[in-house]
Amino acid sequence: MIELERVEETSCDFATLVREHQAMVFSLSYHFLHDRDLAEEIAQEVFLSLHKHIADIKSPEHAVFWLRKVVVQRSIDETRRKKRRPQVALELVAEPAAASSRDSDPLLGEVLRRLIATLPETPRMVMVMRYQEDLDPAEISELLEMPLGTVKSHLQRSLALLREKLQRRGVGDY
Amino acid sequence: MDWLEKELAKALERKEPSPDFAAKLTARIESEAPRRSRLFHFPRWMPAAAAFVMLATSGSLAWRRHQGMVAKEQVMLAMRITAGKLNHVQAHVREAQQ
Repeated sequence: MIELERVEETSCDFATLVREHQAMVFSLSYHFLHDRDLAEEIAQEVFLSLHKHIADIKSPEHAVFWLRKVVVQRSIDETRRKKRRPQVALELVAEPAAASSRDSDPLLGEVLRRLIATLPETPRMVMVMRYQEDLDPAEISELLEMPLGTVKSHLQRSLALLREKLQRRGVGDY
Repeated sequence: MDWLEKELAKALERKEPSPDFAAKLTARIESEAPRRSRLFHFPRWMPAAAAFVMLATSGSLAWRRHQGMVAKEQVMLAMRITAGKLNHVQAHVREAQQ
C-alpha cells in the first residue's frame, strides 16, 4: 500500500510529468500548427498551467488526459487568434516520391504533414489525435467533447481527401 | 490499418522539443513564482489586521475630537466664572469709591 502510494506520488511529480510527456504535448501542437517555435511556446504554457494546477491532478492517467485537453484547446485558440489558416497551399506542397519507393520515404512523410496542416481545425485535430496518439474514435470523442459519429465522419472524410490529393499527384494507388 | 494510415502514423510520430525545453520551463516557473507570491499570496491574517488598524485609527480620532470638545467647554466655563468674579469685584470697587 505504502509502495503504491509512493509510486503514484512519484508519477504525479511535476518534473516527472514534464520529462515523460513533453514530446506528446509538443508534438500535438506541432502537428496541428506546423510551426516548431509556436508549438514549443504553447507546450511551455501548457506545462506552466499544469504547474499551477498540479494539486488537482489525481493520477498519471488524469495528467495525460489533462495535458492533451489543454494543449488541444491552446493550439486551437492560437490558430483562431492569429487567424492561421493553412500556411502551405496544397499547390505548393512538394511532389512525393514515386509509388514504387513507398518504404520509409521521408518526403512522403513531409507531404502528409503538410496536407494535414491544410485541413480545417477540427478534422486536423482529430487526425493528429488518431495517428500521433493512436487514440480510437471513442477516446477522441471524449477528449474533444464531440459526438462519436462526428469523429468517425471527420476521419473518413479526411482520409478520403488525402487519398484523392495523393492520387491527383500520381503518388500511387491508395 | 491500410498503407496510408501506416504512413500517417509514421509521419505524425511524436517529436522531441528542443533540448533546453525543460531548462527554459524551470526558468519561467522560477521567474513567475516570487512575483505571484508578492501580489496574490498575502497572509490570511492581513485583512483582519487591516480592519483592526482602520477601526483603531477612526476610534482614536473620535476620542481625540471628544477630548477637544470637553477641554473647550471647560475653558468656556472658567472664562464665565472669571468674568462673574471680575464683575463682582468691580461693583465693590465702585461702591467703595462712592
